[in-house]
Amino acid sequence: MMELGVPFSKIVLAAQQTIYMVSISLAIGSVLAMMMAMTLVLTNDNGILKNKYVYTVLNTVINIIRSIPFIILMVFILPLTKEIVGTRVGTTAALVPLVVFIAPYLTRLFENSILEVDKGIVEAAQAMGASYFEIVWYFLLPEAYGSLILSVTIGTIGLIGATAMAGAIGAGGVGDLALTYGYERLNFPLMLFTVIVLIIFVQIIQSFGNYFSSKVRNH
Amino acid sequence: MINFIDISKTFTMKKQQTNALDHVSLQVRAGDIFGVIGFSGAGKSTLLRMVNGLETPTGGRIEVDGQDINTLSFSELRQVRKRIGMIFQQFNLLNSKTVYDNIAIPLRLNRVGEKEIRARVSELLEFVGLSDKVNAYPNQLSGGQKQRVGIARALATNPSILLCDEATSALDPETTDSILRLLEKINRELKITILIVTHEIHVIQRICNKVAVMEHGRVIEWGSVLDVFSNPQQEITKKFVQTVIADKIPDSIVQKLQGDRRNYKILRLQFLGENVRDNVLYRINKDFDVETNILFASVNELQQTVLGIFVIQVIGESPEIERVMDYIRNQQLSWQEVMI
Repeated sequence: MMELGVPFSKIVLAAQQTIYMVSISLAIGSVLAMMMAMTLVLTNDNGILKNKYVYTVLNTVINIIRSIPFIILMVFILPLTKEIVGTRVGTTAALVPLVVFIAPYLTRLFENSILEVDKGIVEAAQAMGASYFEIVWYFLLPEAYGSLILSVTIGTIGLIGATAMAGAIGAGGVGDLALTYGYERLNFPLMLFTVIVLIIFVQIIQSFGNYFSSKVRNH
Repeated sequence: MINFIDISKTFTMKKQQTNALDHVSLQVRAGDIFGVIGFSGAGKSTLLRMVNGLETPTGGRIEVDGQDINTLSFSELRQVRKRIGMIFQQFNLLNSKTVYDNIAIPLRLNRVGEKEIRARVSELLEFVGLSDKVNAYPNQLSGGQKQRVGIARALATNPSILLCDEATSALDPETTDSILRLLEKINRELKITILIVTHEIHVIQRICNKVAVMEHGRVIEWGSVLDVFSNPQQEITKKFVQTVIADKIPDSIVQKLQGDRRNYKILRLQFLGENVRDNVLYRINKDFDVETNILFASVNELQQTVLGIFVIQVIGESPEIERVMDYIRNQQLSWQEVMI
């Protein structure tokens, strides 16, 4: 095996940190994003709960957050992070900016997925006497499911990219490993190794996403 | 059953007002198969959607079983909607669900138990003739089969009214016919009142007993199919009716007539019901000193009644032709002289 210049346990720890950050922030971010995306779809101009005020406010907030690069967002909301998790540094502290970053991103992706559902489906649901909740639960979500899986896949990959920058607030992770050891200590083999690991990660996630999505869609 | 009372609907778009519906009044009786026909943009779909409150009028009101739809609360409206089935041009099935689950949805919304749902779905599938497709997905079905699933889904909650929004417009003629037969069966066996919106006159001819003709948001003519088809008043109605009930003399015959130097008149006779036809033609030939020549004839069935249209050339001396016309005047049939 190639000499990587760092103890293997350090690599395992970095991988664990990345997986921890990605999975927790993805879970929380997805729930928030789904609520926001649904709100956008229902309140937009053609929505069944059309509400210009709610739509415009939410839409603008999402656009504002999405305009801020993650590395800046992370340090910008440090006071909020401290307020929520009690510390400004470490892996857990990175969760707050990661969620703030990924939720609006996923919201846009989810919004598109839900908008892809044929309007006629909603009309059929209304004609059956479905309540608003039932329209979402029995009609919109099942119909958007395949597309939503792909959206989560894209979001996950974006999130892995963001975690690399979380090293700036001492969150660790695979990206941080590559930067501190690979780049700053000129350890090229380690750099190469982490890049390959990340590529494999992303490939696997994308393949899984494609597989499940097409399984749901190709009926 | 369904009462449209002076319905208007105005859309405002870019400060421009358009009247989608303009003081429309119609009555649909229980047991009717009521057809609304018009070109696209005539407002017929908007009218249909008012029955289950998918659209609300800006003027007038709609009563369904005596209940004013637009004064209901949202939850009351939802209860009314469960008694009104609806099918669509694009079927609007959930592509992510099997045929079974699609038909089960309205039942699940009503919190019906799974066991009961299973029995009801198989009963419905048998009724629409799709029992073998229970586990198929909509993408594996043909257009006609999808519409059958749509119909089964609409019938799941035992509605008393079925709304059909261009339900056959995406189907080929043969499939259209089978769907129309199914709708007829629903009306006859399940005693469901059907309101159909279409731009295809043969749909009206084939199954409706009442028809309303719409143009630019107004109902310009309505009544029983028999009356409207046998005696259309408005230009647009005539145009629609002519496409299924031909009454035009073919051009080649017109040309021949123009070269005919004999003294003649051309009469268009219209018979409703079979009994009179043979007798009248027979009498003209036997009792009068004229020669008759059938230029054109068509026999159509509407509501189990025969509508016959005959265009005959009556050749003879003028006074004798006058006598023939006097005789026809005294018969129970509508007629007119045709100029070419």
